[in-house]
Amino acid sequence: MSGFFSYFTSHFATLGHEFWPLLVGGLATGFIYSMVAIGYTMVYGVLRLINFAHSEVFMSGGFASFFLTKWLVGSGTPSAWQSVLYVVLGVMVGGLAGAAIAALVERVAYRPLRRRKAPKLAYLISAIGASYFLFNLAAKEFGRINFAMSPPFVNHALFQFANAPVEMLDVITLVVGLLMLFGLDRLVSKSKLGRSIRAVAQDAETASLMGVNIDRTIAVTFLLGGFLGGAAGYLFGLKFGVVYTMGFTPALKAFTAAVLGGIGNLRGALIGGLLLGVVESLSVAFVNGAYIDVVSFGVLVLVLLVRPTGILGESLGRAA
Amino acid sequence: MKIRLNKTVAAVASSALVLLAVPASGIAGASTMMAKPTYVIGYEGPLSGGNAQLGINMKWGVQLAIANANASGKLPFNLQAAWYDDQGSGTLSPAQAQSAVANNKLVAMVGPAFSGATRAAEPFYANAGIATVSPSATAAALATGISNNNFMRVVYGDDVQGAADAKFLVKTHGASSVLTIDDGSFYGAGLAQVVNTAAKADGATVTSNSLPQTSNCGGVASSTEYTSAATQIAAANPKAVFYGGYYCDLGLLLGALSQTSYSGIIMSGDGSESSSLISGTTPASAANGVWLSAAGGGSSAFTGKLETQFKAISHGVKSSTALYSTQAYDAANMIITSMSKIKWSKSLELNRIAIKDQLHMTTYKGVTGTLKFQSNGNLAGSGAGQVNFYQVVSGVITAKGHN
Repeated sequence: MSGFFSYFTSHFATLGHEFWPLLVGGLATGFIYSMVAIGYTMVYGVLRLINFAHSEVFMSGGFASFFLTKWLVGSGTPSAWQSVLYVVLGVMVGGLAGAAIAALVERVAYRPLRRRKAPKLAYLISAIGASYFLFNLAAKEFGRINFAMSPPFVNHALFQFANAPVEMLDVITLVVGLLMLFGLDRLVSKSKLGRSIRAVAQDAETASLMGVNIDRTIAVTFLLGGFLGGAAGYLFGLKFGVVYTMGFTPALKAFTAAVLGGIGNLRGALIGGLLLGVVESLSVAFVNGAYIDVVSFGVLVLVLLVRPTGILGESLGRAA
Repeated sequence: MKIRLNKTVAAVASSALVLLAVPASGIAGASTMMAKPTYVIGYEGPLSGGNAQLGINMKWGVQLAIANANASGKLPFNLQAAWYDDQGSGTLSPAQAQSAVANNKLVAMVGPAFSGATRAAEPFYANAGIATVSPSATAAALATGISNNNFMRVVYGDDVQGAADAKFLVKTHGASSVLTIDDGSFYGAGLAQVVNTAAKADGATVTSNSLPQTSNCGGVASSTEYTSAATQIAAANPKAVFYGGYYCDLGLLLGALSQTSYSGIIMSGDGSESSSLISGTTPASAANGVWLSAAGGGSSAFTGKLETQFKAISHGVKSSTALYSTQAYDAANMIITSMSKIKWSKSLELNRIAIKDQLHMTTYKGVTGTLKFQSNGNLAGSGAGQVNFYQVVSGVITAKGHN
């Protein structure tokens, strides 16, 4: 018992020393999870289905921005204004590639089944098939190695937060993540398009009777989720490189985050992503790195035991 | 009518010529085939995936050995190579091993290349009586944990490499505290454990951590684990970090560490000794200063005509930067030498077993030294215990002597 006690006191002491750096790193990771989780949660909101091809939307954004960055930066050192421009272009191109792939998946793997009123299981298998097709295609076309992406900026520490150095890439991730999540939240809650999405999420049949174009609304939902997923692929690639399997684990984590926050709930996806990122990061101070996922998923189970519908509940319409 | 007759004669004559020519060439081909049967030497290793470069280096070595053996004209058989891509994965290697076993011309294997893949594939090769001569599977347990005598390797085990690495860190560089990190693989965990034990014995304070292979590098863990792990390493600030694993994940860890204040020694073993370590690290400068080791035995490069031939196969890559290419060349040549000494039978299985038994009796003077196997498959060559050290200097892996 004393050994157990001393284990935790020593690890709390470690945590006290490293808390702020781990928190900053966890938040940066969490924003990436949140951006990917949005894609899952929006599709679930309108279709009540999990888009298992979303991991490849993430991967597509990573590769598109990787090729763009490689072409733009080459072996040179960009000036300050070029750095800003290249990051914006990287986010946009990553996002657009993600949106294009998401739209393609919707058009090929979902819409034909929806028109035939296929059972839910058919959508699931169709999406998994699309996922396997896409990542194997990427492996064949781009190779099976991890490509390091040279950032178009020097990733130095910009300032200290408590005792944690906050680096350029952390700031970019936080700013891009916040802007996109805030923008999407406003779009869904205030615009006509957002009303359509919420209407379809609440009751597609009634929405259709009220004049909402269901096909178009679903396609736009895929596009929006895909844009955020693709942009997240760029931010992830800047730090860890790009490879055809890069979407697998982050997307699984993002799906977890979406469930944690309340699947179908935009703000829930944000909270779930941030929570998961921070829990993962802090758990390193307590346990061996090999147990990070044990801790993360343990937290997921605990949260769901207390709140089966996730932290903020399920409804896209209500929360947005 | 005359014209028609001429045409008929010409057609009959042509047909006769064709009929005569086909058996003639057929007989000639058959006589060549009978004189020189064709046998296949397989190679199993990662030819794709996050850590493919090491496997490709070895493929080049096998290609060179087989090309030279065929070109010599001295062998009573022709050789072909067959490639089995296991991506370095213990999950994929059994299927590749079964495919190799089913090849009815395949008589021996170079590889498997990675230790985890070797452990998973060995039962299939053992059942078929196929000798596997690995250029690079260094996990110590491979030689002690498998009862069948089909496993051999032309490198020293991680018990030799890990002990030398620990001594290098603690004694040579005075590292009083060492953090060992492994990638959770059979190879990485084994090597890190040897370093852990040896560094303690050498007087250092040792802690350990495990960071599983990530989905960027063929595993399933999230690459984000390195961000928080690097923070923790910087806070603990050990004098040295030893990484047991492969270059792809080490590159991610180095990238994360470069964003912290950590400035201690970083070292890894042969699994990280690849130029792809530098190209896979962001920023590439984060790899500078990293120490690497390889228990390859003797020379790790071809010279003269062999080097020219090697570069023709490797599209200009020098053998000195293609780790395990020379070991693969020697492994293939040990098999070819053994093949030239056995009495061939009509039974594929008996031929496979005869080659395996002959390998245990063969002493071969290769590029990497004089090679002979102990009964457990470990090397008993003249360069016993030699571990070469390297350091990344200005983006280039540079030889820095040996223990």
